[in-house]
Amino acid sequence: MNVNDKTLKALAAAVKFREMRQEIISSNIANSETPGYKSKKLDFESALARALDVDGEMGMKVQEGKHYDVGSGGFDNLQPELYNDPNGVVSEDGNTVDREAEMAKMTENKIMYDALVQLMNKKMGLMKYAVQSER
Amino acid sequence: MSIQTFSQMQNTLKNYDVSNWSKSVEFGKKMDFGEGLEGVSPGESSSKTFGDFLLESVSQVNKMQQDADVAVQKLASGESQNLHETLLAVEKADIAFKTMNQIRSKVIDAYREIMKMQI
Amino acid sequence: MDLLKSMKISSSGLSANRKRIEAISSNIANAQTTRTAEGGPYRRKEVVFGSEPARDSFSEILEGEIDAQAQTVHATEVVSTNKAPVLKYDPTHPDANEEGYVAMPDVNVMKEMADMISAQRAYESNISAINTTKSMAMKALEIGRN
Repeated sequence: MNVNDKTLKALAAAVKFREMRQEIISSNIANSETPGYKSKKLDFESALARALDVDGEMGMKVQEGKHYDVGSGGFDNLQPELYNDPNGVVSEDGNTVDREAEMAKMTENKIMYDALVQLMNKKMGLMKYAVQSER
Repeated sequence: MSIQTFSQMQNTLKNYDVSNWSKSVEFGKKMDFGEGLEGVSPGESSSKTFGDFLLESVSQVNKMQQDADVAVQKLASGESQNLHETLLAVEKADIAFKTMNQIRSKVIDAYREIMKMQI
Repeated sequence: MDLLKSMKISSSGLSANRKRIEAISSNIANAQTTRTAEGGPYRRKEVVFGSEPARDSFSEILEGEIDAQAQTVHATEVVSTNKAPVLKYDPTHPDANEEGYVAMPDVNVMKEMADMISAQRAYESNISAINTTKSMAMKALEIGRN
């Protein structure tokens, strides 16, 4: 169990992206009556999945047992995709925000955010436990 | 058993590196419990020993940790939506690891107890 | 930083909707006002929303993509409509003109009430967004605490 391991990096990246998503959702909700405003979406799932490469399809093969798997894409340059939602229903003033859908997205985002923080705590708690156990 | 063996075992338990452990013939030879229990080196077919149990358990715990890791990564990247299963897997791996740690403490305690005995 | 920016965005939504509710209240209260300081009947007020980019968001990540950033909203202007006032036939009214018509404000109270409900819903959604953002920030403070 390494402090730099993939899972912790993935969790940290996912937490950051979910914060960004919350910002975009807040913006959509605040502008749900603004004429001409287009609803926006933030997608980070595919970028993160690529960087993680959980099933090992795109990764390097580890030959020696001692070599750590550093992951394929690396976590340093993860770019989320931010774009106008193409599925928005355009109302007469040009606004494409669906307020109820945004509220639902916000709830889901919050639940996942909480889960990720909790998992991060668990992992670090386990590491602390292993380090502190004395005999 | 010698002191070096036990501190070695302690180190390997801390490092969690099962593959190295199983490759070590030295370790197999040093696990000499006397009559009835034999140390095992890879390649020998014999009845199950305490060493085998330990190895199996540690590798099981390791596997559980790795499974939990994979589940967490899938949850973080949005591939899986199984919140409860992921949390369960992590919790199981936690408990398994802590149990193993307790066992290690007990084994070391037992060793110390033995060492205290006057011959 | 991102979460604090979210709160600013949501609070801008709250302010804009509050102004909208003020305008609606003013319209409803003055639905029968035929005499104003500027002369003539009350003119219906309307609030126009505009959005502008919340500065400093994502600038490190998305340089140059100005129109795809999170936007704050504000009520850019409160306009009084320029429509011709509605003429109602009521010769007994003190403000009736020579033909007996009174110029009444162009306020449809039913429509104003519907707008008010919509503004209230929008206000509540923004409150919900602020609460969620706040809980996320509090949760983030729990990292490493166990």
